[in-house]
Amino acid sequence: MAGTKNHDYHILPPDIVPLATTIGAFVFTSGMVLHMHDMAGGAFVPWLGMAILLASMFAWFSKIVKEAHAGDHTPVVQLHQRYGMITFIASEVMFFVGWFWAFFDFSLFPSTLSEAVGGQWPPKAIEAVMDPFALPLLNTLILLCSGTTVTWAHHSLIHGDREGLKKGLWATILLGLLFSCIQAYEYIHAPFGFGQNTYGSAFYMATGFHGFHVIVGTIMLIVCLKRTYNGDFTPRQHFGFEAAAWYWHFVDVVWLFLFAAIYIWGNWGGVIE
Amino acid sequence: MATTADHFQGHVDDHGHADHDHKPAFFARWFMSTNHKDIGTMYLIFAIFAGIIGGAFSGMMRIELAEPGIQYLDTFAKWFGAVNPDFNSSLHVWNVLITAHGLIMVFFMVMPAIIGGFGNWFVPLMIGAPDMAFPRMNNISFWLTVAGFCSLLCSAFVPGGTGLGAGTGWTVYAPLSTTGSPGPAVDFGIFALHLSGAGSIMGAINFITTIFNMRAPGMTMHKMPLFVWSVLVTAFLLLLSLPVLAAAITMLLTDRNFGTTFFDPSGGGDPVLYQHLFWFFGHPEVYIMILPGFGIVSQIISTFSKKPVFGYLGMAYAMVAIGVVGFIVWAHHMYATGMSVNTKMYFTAATMVIAVPTGVKIFSWIATMWGGSIEFKSPMVWAIGFIFLFTVGGVTGVYLANGGIDDVVHDTYFVVAHFHYVLSLGAVTALFAGFYYWFPKMSGRMHSELLAHIHFWIFFVGVNMIFFPMHFLGLQGMPRRYPDYAEAYAHWNKVATDGYMVMAFSLVIWFINIIYAYTAGKKAEANYWGEGATTLEWTLSSPPPFHQFETLPVIEDAGHH
Amino acid sequence: QEAAPAAAPAAAAGSYTPMKPTPGIGMPVDGGLGIQTQFSKIGEYGLWMHDVILMPVMVIISVFVLALLLWVIVRYNKRANPVASKTSHNTLIEVVWTLLPVLILVGIAIPSIDLIAKQYKPAPKGALTIKATGNQWFWTYSYPDNGDFEVVSNMLNLPGQPVVNNGVRDVGSKPWDGPSHLEVDNRMVVPVGEPIRLLVTAADVIHSFAVPSLWMKLDGVPGRINEKVLLVEKPGVYYGQCSELCGAKHGYMPIALEALPRDKFNAWVLTHPGGAIDGQKPAAQAAAAPAAEAAPVGEATGEGQGDATAAAAE
Ligand code: HEA
Ligand code: HEA
Ligand code: CUA
Ligand SMILES: [Cu+2]
Repeated sequence: MAGTKNHDYHILPPDIVPLATTIGAFVFTSGMVLHMHDMAGGAFVPWLGMAILLASMFAWFSKIVKEAHAGDHTPVVQLHQRYGMITFIASEVMFFVGWFWAFFDFSLFPSTLSEAVGGQWPPKAIEAVMDPFALPLLNTLILLCSGTTVTWAHHSLIHGDREGLKKGLWATILLGLLFSCIQAYEYIHAPFGFGQNTYGSAFYMATGFHGFHVIVGTIMLIVCLKRTYNGDFTPRQHFGFEAAAWYWHFVDVVWLFLFAAIYIWGNWGGVIE
Repeated sequence: MATTADHFQGHVDDHGHADHDHKPAFFARWFMSTNHKDIGTMYLIFAIFAGIIGGAFSGMMRIELAEPGIQYLDTFAKWFGAVNPDFNSSLHVWNVLITAHGLIMVFFMVMPAIIGGFGNWFVPLMIGAPDMAFPRMNNISFWLTVAGFCSLLCSAFVPGGTGLGAGTGWTVYAPLSTTGSPGPAVDFGIFALHLSGAGSIMGAINFITTIFNMRAPGMTMHKMPLFVWSVLVTAFLLLLSLPVLAAAITMLLTDRNFGTTFFDPSGGGDPVLYQHLFWFFGHPEVYIMILPGFGIVSQIISTFSKKPVFGYLGMAYAMVAIGVVGFIVWAHHMYATGMSVNTKMYFTAATMVIAVPTGVKIFSWIATMWGGSIEFKSPMVWAIGFIFLFTVGGVTGVYLANGGIDDVVHDTYFVVAHFHYVLSLGAVTALFAGFYYWFPKMSGRMHSELLAHIHFWIFFVGVNMIFFPMHFLGLQGMPRRYPDYAEAYAHWNKVATDGYMVMAFSLVIWFINIIYAYTAGKKAEANYWGEGATTLEWTLSSPPPFHQFETLPVIEDAGHH
Repeated sequence: QEAAPAAAPAAAAGSYTPMKPTPGIGMPVDGGLGIQTQFSKIGEYGLWMHDVILMPVMVIISVFVLALLLWVIVRYNKRANPVASKTSHNTLIEVVWTLLPVLILVGIAIPSIDLIAKQYKPAPKGALTIKATGNQWFWTYSYPDNGDFEVVSNMLNLPGQPVVNNGVRDVGSKPWDGPSHLEVDNRMVVPVGEPIRLLVTAADVIHSFAVPSLWMKLDGVPGRINEKVLLVEKPGVYYGQCSELCGAKHGYMPIALEALPRDKFNAWVLTHPGGAIDGQKPAAQAAAAPAAEAAPVGEATGEGQGDATAAAAE
């Protein structure tokens, strides 16, 4: 790097990790094609790709943490990261718009020609639906609660209370895991299947992608917890934590929409098991 | 406008830094790059490569369409590896060709060239930034585009229903793409879009952050060059539309492989839902392909008229308006699907609205030239060609916007004529304009102006010969996506195929010009276009140092307006 | 599905000879430049919209922009105008070039919206219903008001071309006597001069039922039944082609629509096993009772065809 850098931006040295990550992604998608068509290699190529992908991402994020310690994240670079995270979340919102779009199309205009649906919502083929005010409500409360615990952690961090930070994070992570477990339990005991009709398709894909985001968010929080034990984060510089918290709130809000639309409104009139 | 070079020339002292300019070794430089100019260069080379493939596919299409009947498809089928293709799998090759052509040109030629290539090179230079905000993410954006392209190529060699390859059209409509195309080809195609789409979303995040946060001191939003504005708006369109495509093609994937019924009517699914989701992305996508072209043309027109852009704010906000309105017009691609009358009326009216901000741009370009002292250097000639050709494509768009008319021309060659006028004659012309404008800046070598002019004129004649007659074919009713047609369509198809040969010849001249530049071209000065070129990239050497603006330029307030 | 057992003999009253198409009518013409001549009310209105409003607007705007460009090229090149002005604003002109297009667009939108409204006026009560179904890669036409028989329509074989079907027309001349790529073995026959409720759907993937000279294009979407009025003003043969990518032979599933006067249409109907007029079963059919049950024609058959003609007259 030229020695006369007179600005606060972060100029990076060459790095192999982006290419490695791409190779991981490509091996994974190609492996999935092999897998879905029962072709040779379908059993392990996706895992290989996933492994490369995860290892590369781990390397990537580790570098970012190291660079933070090296002081590369000047105030303007931290501002970059904020913009980056906000725009990333905006794109995630649009991703969920797609799934909600499908759900509302099916539920507002149920097909009259399909025997499985029979012009009604929940469809004819759905003999029973979940009770929104049982486990889903509990899950809602869990997520809402986790939203407050992550804020608790944040406040503790800002006020230099590391014990509070740890407790808040622990609580959030445990609530997140609890949510995922309940969700898994629900899936296993759901009175309707995954495919065959629009109800199952819309329900499982929308809540499933949400669940996936919960898991990603939980991993982010676990990383933050680990970093807290490592002594990372100062009251003034802790964007890694903030990003995780923003993401967590986003996941929370998506759930509220899922809960209101799919569980409560969408199950209206359905037989509760 | 305040972004004239004389305002900050004094503050830029980058010229003498060649001694600090050590570049990484070959592998590190090109496979591990975190440098926006190198990444931009890779994008451009990739786009040219993809453009040649996509252009070759269109040549195969044109030669098959030269006469009625099927002449070459079984030969092509063998090229792609089919053994003894029967009639159906030969016909399938046609669908594979148009699908690959459309996808390659859109996702792997225009987008990488105009956003990845020129955007990466010139957004940081024009706002006085040393690099992009996230240099490492910039790199993965590029490689994911390459990975997507590889995935698309893989699809051509595996079964996709009636033959090898994905034959769904670039729109990948269900149920042709689900139950209608068994085999792995379409899955490879879907993942091609996932991969390159992820790259584009990261690119969009990078551009938005860079433009908001890395403008040189004193460069307010309202002093940014219009090319930067255009990339900013484009980045927002990408950010907000691509995820919806991602959801839609994920539904295709699960319908195909995991038993969901999003688009399968027997389970209550709706094929038209796919079209809504696709076009909610697809319409903004067409502006993604053209807005950066608008930006390039604005720079060029101003440079060679030696005048500031006329109505700068109107120009910037016209692009914002096009971007915003672009999100609420998507169903004009679906007039024949049996939408309700009111919906059709709404989309007719909403679509036509876009002609207003676009008109503002056309007239402001002309007003910029008005009163100027115009020099007809090659980029200027291409830019003027752009204005005219884009207008022709634009007015046929307004024609198609009318639901009652589109009903009869939908899915005919009239639509093909419309979108090639805005793409192959609009976006590509803007690309060549940008290429000649900035090639010496990027390479350090001057191209031949004479060859660049000849390239323009032959290209201009060729593409008009290809695509103008398609209007006639479409009005006469010739449907799209046909490898074979009634005798009555023979005449104009022949003309179009002849036009392709003319156009192809112009590309040869372009290649010769590139070779000429690298072998015999003069060394380019910092500002080889002279007084009209006032944006920041002209304050740097050609090519610019590996790391520019190590001391940020300061833009003084000229107190304009 | 066939409504009647194949055993039923052809109706005695039925007769049909395929009409010879008139060259250049209802089909594209070589070297043609514009929209095909129209044979329906809505088509004539659409053609007017095209000829009188849209084409002039497109041409004038393109020529206007070209003229301005040529003018600045001539007047403001470096030699003609060595010193560039520095003007970069003129509020008045900016307002003008924003408002003027708005006015032009409003001028287009008013008739355009009216055209859409007319195009999608639902068919009058009791109109004859015909259902077109797209299949990979042929059309089937069923006539629920006429005993629900079904016509399977394949492209006729082209001389010297790969065989895309058996290349034989079941009635009339053979092997190939219509325009290339457009002629079929069994045409869709409709009565002339009365509004028909056309239903379009598809069995496998999306197809699109399109006949350019009748201003008709409607997608056949699996799981949906789309509806539009079809009114042909003159007897004749009108050709169209599938207009939504539907796989390998998308280019080989044309539509040939033959419009006949009512009596000839009725005679055509009676050539089909199970064909019935005005809800009555043809004599030959009376014995084949199961056919009546198989045909779910219900109310549509009950309504007399007389209503349809009356509605057409209004
Ligand atoms: C760069 C790409 C690009 C651009 C910029 C546009 C611009 C426009 N497009 Fe186009 N379009 C495509 C790419 C593009 N399109 C593609 C790829 C398809 C086909 C996809 C597929 O099916 O595969 C398509 C299809 C398409 C359709 C669907 C046709 C069909 O399938 O039946 C329609 C319908 O409304 C349409 C409309 C428009 C309009 C109104 C504009 C407007 O933005 C144009 C505005 C510009 C002007 C009007 C000219 C300048 C203005 C003036 C000089 C002012 C005065 C003018 C007036 C008062 C009119 N386009
Ligand atoms: C940007 C988009 C783009 C471009 C440039 C082109 C370029 C061309 N296209 Fe096509 N085309 C599409 C997008 C494009 N097309 C799409 C989306 C479809 C619809 C597909 C579908 O139905 O699903 C289509 C369909 C289509 C059809 C209809 C097929 C059918 O319906 O059956 C035809 C028929 O002739 C055709 C022909 C051509 C020809 C002869 C060119 C020639 O102009 C090609 C010559 C090549 C170039 C002009 C490119 C050269 C550029 C470079 C080499 C890179 C330059 C880079 C820099 C300067 C940095 N195209
Ligand atoms: Cu059927 Cu195209
Ligand atoms: Cu559009």
